[in-house]
Amino acid sequence: MKKLIAFLLIVLSVFLLAKTTLTVVEVFTSPERDAILKNIIEQFEEQNPGVKINLISPPYETAYQKIYTMISNKQPVDIVEVGDWSLSTLAAMGGLENLEPYIANWDGAKYMLPNLLEFARIYKGKAYLIPNAVYAKTLFIRKDVLKKYGIERAPKTVFELYGMASYLTDPRRGQYGYDFRGKGYPTDFIDLFVTSFFDDIDPNNMYLTKDGKLIWSDPRAKYGLELYVKIFKDTAPKDAVNWGFSEQINSFVSGIAPLLYQDPDTLGILKSNLPDNLFETDPLPVGPYGKAYPHYGFSGWGIVSYSKHKDLAWKFIEFFNSPKVLSYWCKNYGVLPPDKRVYENDPYFKSDKYKGWIEMFNDPEHYQFTKQPIWSEAWGKWTELQERTMQEVLLGKKSVDQVLREWSEFWEKAGLK
Amino acid sequence: MKPRRTARFFLYAVLPVIAIVSFLVVYPTIRGVIMSFQNYNLYNLRNVHFVGLENYKAIFTDSRFYEDLWNTVLWIAGSVSLQFVLGFILALLMWKPFKGRGIYAGLVFYPWALSGFAIGLVWSWLMNGTFGVINDILLRFHIVKYPIHFLSDPKWAMWSVILINVWYGIPFFAIMILAALQSVPSSVVEAAMIDGASAARRLFQIVIPYIKPTLLSTLLLRVIWVMNFPDIIYGTTRGGPAGATETLSVYMINIVFYENDYSKAATVGVIILSILIAYAIIYMKTTSYEELEL
Repeated sequence: MKKLIAFLLIVLSVFLLAKTTLTVVEVFTSPERDAILKNIIEQFEEQNPGVKINLISPPYETAYQKIYTMISNKQPVDIVEVGDWSLSTLAAMGGLENLEPYIANWDGAKYMLPNLLEFARIYKGKAYLIPNAVYAKTLFIRKDVLKKYGIERAPKTVFELYGMASYLTDPRRGQYGYDFRGKGYPTDFIDLFVTSFFDDIDPNNMYLTKDGKLIWSDPRAKYGLELYVKIFKDTAPKDAVNWGFSEQINSFVSGIAPLLYQDPDTLGILKSNLPDNLFETDPLPVGPYGKAYPHYGFSGWGIVSYSKHKDLAWKFIEFFNSPKVLSYWCKNYGVLPPDKRVYENDPYFKSDKYKGWIEMFNDPEHYQFTKQPIWSEAWGKWTELQERTMQEVLLGKKSVDQVLREWSEFWEKAGLK
Repeated sequence: MKPRRTARFFLYAVLPVIAIVSFLVVYPTIRGVIMSFQNYNLYNLRNVHFVGLENYKAIFTDSRFYEDLWNTVLWIAGSVSLQFVLGFILALLMWKPFKGRGIYAGLVFYPWALSGFAIGLVWSWLMNGTFGVINDILLRFHIVKYPIHFLSDPKWAMWSVILINVWYGIPFFAIMILAALQSVPSSVVEAAMIDGASAARRLFQIVIPYIKPTLLSTLLLRVIWVMNFPDIIYGTTRGGPAGATETLSVYMINIVFYENDYSKAATVGVIILSILIAYAIIYMKTTSYEELEL
C-alpha cells in the first residue's frame, strides 16, 4: 500500500511539475532581435509559471520554407511568425487558426492603427494573425547633405522630389539624389510612384480604382511610371538597377543619395551609423492630386491550427500586444507600433525620427493607407515579374507602354478585375 | 564460406549504404519526378493531383526557359574552361617543390573553403558600380574613365559572375590535377628531357596522357556541379538584371521563392537532371571514358 501511495505521489508531482511547452517559430531572425524577443519571452514565463516557450529561430532566408514544411508535416508548433506576404499562403494551407473568436473578446482591437486589423483580414475576411510590427514607407532625408546644397526642407510632391534630386545629381562628384531600388522586391517603390498619380485608388486594393478598373491600364499609370524611369535616369547611379536594401542604406549613410523611401526598421540601422541630427523622416511626397497611397506591411503571431495549446498561445499573443511590451518591442526592434496607445504614451515615438509616419497617420485627406493585393495567389509571381520587367525598362529593353500592357494582362489573367 | 552465405554477408554489409543512399538520393529524386507531374503549389496543398504534362508544357512554351538554358551554357562553358586552364597552370607551378610552396598552395586552395553564397555577397560589394573597390582601383589608376557596372549592365553581368566562379573553382582543378601530377613517374619525364623533348612535348605527350583519367573525371564532375551551383549568382544578382544571369538552377530557386510552385520547380529540376544524364552519357562515349583505367 505504502509503495502504491509513494508511486502515486511521484506520478502526481511529475504531473504537477511538468511544464506546458509552447513552440514558437520566428521568421525575421537576427541576433539583436532575438535578444529582445527572448527578454519578452522570459517576462511571459515569469508571469506564467509552468509555461515554457521553446523559440525556434531559423535563418531568415529559409525561415518561410521551414515553416511551410513544418506545418505541412504537422510538426509540433503552436505559434508562428507570419508576415503579410506569407499570410495567405499559410492560411490557404489550412495551417493557421482563425483568430476572430479571440479578437471578439480582446480589448486591444479597438486601439489598432486605422484599418490595420482590416488589412490583417486579407484572407477570406478573417484575421489569422495579430500584427505586432507595422512597416510603412516614408521619406528619409539627409538634412546635412541637403543643407550643403542650400535645400532647407523635404520635397512635398513627387515633382519637387524629382527637381531636388536632379539638382543634387552630379556623377563627377559622386553625388546623386534619389536612393533607387532596382532589385530585391522593388514593388513598393514602383507602386508608390505610380499610385501617387491617382486620386481614386480603392482603399482595399491598391491596383484598382474606386470604380473597379485596373490602374495599370489607366493613362495616369503611364505618367507615374515615366516619372519613375526619369528619376532613375536623371538622379540615380546606373548601377542602382542592381541595388537592393543594403546598397540603398549604404548610399544614404555615405550621403551619395540623400533622399530615401524606406520602412521603420531602417531607423535602427541609421541610428547606429549616423549621428542623430543628420537625418529625419518626412511624409511621402504626394502626386499631382495631392495624394499618396502608402501601404501597410505588417507581421505578427499566428496560432497554428493543429496546436494543442491554442488558448495559451492566445494568452502569449495578448501579452505580446499589450502597450508596454509593444513599446519595448517596437522601440528596440525599430518598427512602428500597431497600437495607438503606444504613440500617445511613449515620448520616444514623438521625435522627428517618426515625424514622417505620424503626419501621414494624422492626414487621411492626403494619405490613404491602402492594401496591395497580397492575398492573391499571383502575388509572388507578380513581384518577380514586376522586378524583371521594370529592370528591362530601366535598361532600355522595353518601353513603359509595353510593360504596363504586360502588367495589365497579368492581373486580368489573375482575376483581379 | 559457402557462396550463398558469402552473398548474404555482402548483402548485409551494403544494406546500410543502400538504405542511406535510397533515403537521401533515390527517394527525393523519385519524389521530384512525381511532383513534376502534379500541381503541388503551397496555395493549393489540399487539392494536389496529377496534371499530366502541363508543367512541362508551361516550361517548354516559355521563352524564359530558352534564355536561361543559353545562360546556363555560357555559365558552364565560361566557368569550367577558365577554371580548368588556370587550375592546370597553378598545379604545374606547384608540381616541383620550392620554398614557400605550402603557403602558396594554401593561398591557392583558400577560395574552395568558402561558401558560395558568402562569396557572392562579398564580390557584389567589390564589384559595385558606385562604391566598389574594383572600380575605385580602376579609376584611380586611370585604367577606365567611368566606373564599370559589372553586375548591373547585362553586357557585363554574366562575365562578372563567371569571373567570380572562376576565382572560386580554380582550387578544385589545382588540387585534383596536382595530386595526379604527383603520380607521374619522374624517371619518364627525365628520360624525355635527356632525349631532347621540349617542355611542350613533354607536357602534351607524356604528362597529359598520364593524367588523362583525372582530367576527364574532374571535367565531368565540375560541369555537373557548376550547372547545379546557383549560390554565387544568387548572392550577387539573383539572376538579374532583367534575367541576364538567370541560369536554370537560379530559375528553379526563383520559382520556389516567388511562386511557391514546387511542381514547376521540380519540373525544371527534372529537366536539369535529364540534361546532365544526357551530357554524361555523350561525354563518356566520346571520350572513351569507360575504357580508361581510372
